[in-house]
Amino acid sequence: MRTVLETEGLVCPFPVMEAEEAMADLTTGDELVIAFDCTQGTQSLPAWAADNGYTVTEFAKTGEASWTITVRK
Amino acid sequence: MIFTGLLVGGVLGLVLQRGRFCITGAFRDLWVSGSWRWMTAFLLAVAVQAVGVALLTATGAITPEVPTLSVVATAAGSLLFGVGIVLAGGCATGTYYRAGEGLVGSWFALIAYAGTAAASKTGVLAPVTTWVKGLWTTQLTTIPAAFSLPDWVGVLALSAGVALLVRWQRRLAANRPVTLQLAPQRTGLNHLLFERAWNPLLTGVLVGLVAIIAWPASWASGRHDGLGITTPSSNLVGWLVTGDESRLDWGVLLVLGILIGAHLSARASGEFRVRVPSATVIRRSIAGGLLMGVGAAWAGGCSIGNALVQTSLLSWQGWTALVFQVLGVGATAYFTLIRPRNQRRAARAAGASRPTEHLENSKAASAVVATR
Repeated sequence: MRTVLETEGLVCPFPVMEAEEAMADLTTGDELVIAFDCTQGTQSLPAWAADNGYTVTEFAKTGEASWTITVRK
Repeated sequence: MIFTGLLVGGVLGLVLQRGRFCITGAFRDLWVSGSWRWMTAFLLAVAVQAVGVALLTATGAITPEVPTLSVVATAAGSLLFGVGIVLAGGCATGTYYRAGEGLVGSWFALIAYAGTAAASKTGVLAPVTTWVKGLWTTQLTTIPAAFSLPDWVGVLALSAGVALLVRWQRRLAANRPVTLQLAPQRTGLNHLLFERAWNPLLTGVLVGLVAIIAWPASWASGRHDGLGITTPSSNLVGWLVTGDESRLDWGVLLVLGILIGAHLSARASGEFRVRVPSATVIRRSIAGGLLMGVGAAWAGGCSIGNALVQTSLLSWQGWTALVFQVLGVGATAYFTLIRPRNQRRAARAAGASRPTEHLENSKAASAVVATR
C-alpha cells in the first residue's frame, strides 16, 4: 500500500514528526510518500529513515524548494 | 576594512544554508529524538574554533577579552532565548539563513528579534537589562582559570571530549547508512556546493573555520570580537532608524552577509521560494523572536555569541549560556512537541483497543473543557 503525506508549509521538526505518526498506522512493506518543502528535510528525513531502519525507495526534487521522499516500512 | 564582514557573512550564510546547520535543531533533537547527530557537529565547531583561537592568541594576532559571569542575567536570559528559538523555529543565525531561503515566518521572527535586541541593549528596555545584569555578578572569566589552570588545558580537554563524541557518532552513522541520495543532475563544483547533501560533521568543521577567520578579520576593522549576531542585529536596527554611521561596523555587515549569502546559495541550489506559513506559525514566530532579543541581550549573547564563540574561549558565560539554552529548548519542546506527541500516541493506542464510543466520549469531554 502507498500512502501520501503532504507536509508542505511545515518546517522542521514537523515533517519528521508527522511522518513518524503516519508510519505508525502502516504495516511492514507499506510505503509512505512524504512531500515536503522544508529545506532541512532533505537531511532530516533520510536520516530519520536510516535511524529507524526504513528503506528509502525514491527521493526526488520536484521543483524549487520542494521534494518527495518515499520510505518503506 | 569592515567590508570583510560581508564576505565572512556571505560564506557563513552559504555553509549554514547548504549544510542545514541548525542549532535549534541540535538542541531540540537531544530532547525530542535523543539524537546527538547535530549536537556533535555543533560541539565540533566549538572545538575547532577553540583550537584556532588559542593559536591566534598565542601568536599575539588577537587578544580576546573574556567577560565576567553575571549569573542571573546569563542563566535567565539564555533560558528565555532557548524558549524563543523553539517557538521561532530557528536560532539567531538559523532565522537569518531561513529568511534568506524565503521562509516568511523567519522574516517575522527576525524583525521581532532584532527589534527587541535593540530595545533591550540601547532602547527603552535597556534599564531592565542593566538591572538584571547587576543582580548577581562574579569575577569568573574562564573555566580553567577558576581552577588555576592555563586555558590550553581546557582546549585539550574540550578537544578530547569532542573527539570521543565524533567517534561515537561516526560509528552510529556507519551502522545506519542513508540508503538513497537525490540523483545528481549537476557536476563538479556545482554539484559539491549546490546539490550534494553535506555531512553534518564536515559542516561543523566549516562553521568552526569561518568562526576562526572571523576573529582576525573583525579585529582588523577595529571590532575586537569574533562572530556575533545579537549586538550586530541591534546595531543594524540602530543604524537603520537613526542613520548613525558609527553603528555600521563589521558585525552589521556580517549579519547582512549571512542573509545575502544564504539567499544566493538557496537561489543557486533551486531551494529559494517564498513560503507563507499559517497564522499560528506567524504568531509563534513573533513571540519567539521577541523572547530571543530580550534573552540574548540579558545573557550577553545568543546561540552564536555565547554558545558558539564564548564556549570556544572556555568562558563561564558561554558554557552557562549553552546549558540554559538547552534547558529552555527542552522545556519548550516538552510542552509544544513531546507532550502533544505522547497524547496522540496514547489516543491512538486507546482507539485501537477500544470501540469508537470511547473516542467520542473523550471528544465530548474535551469539548466541555473547552467551553468552560
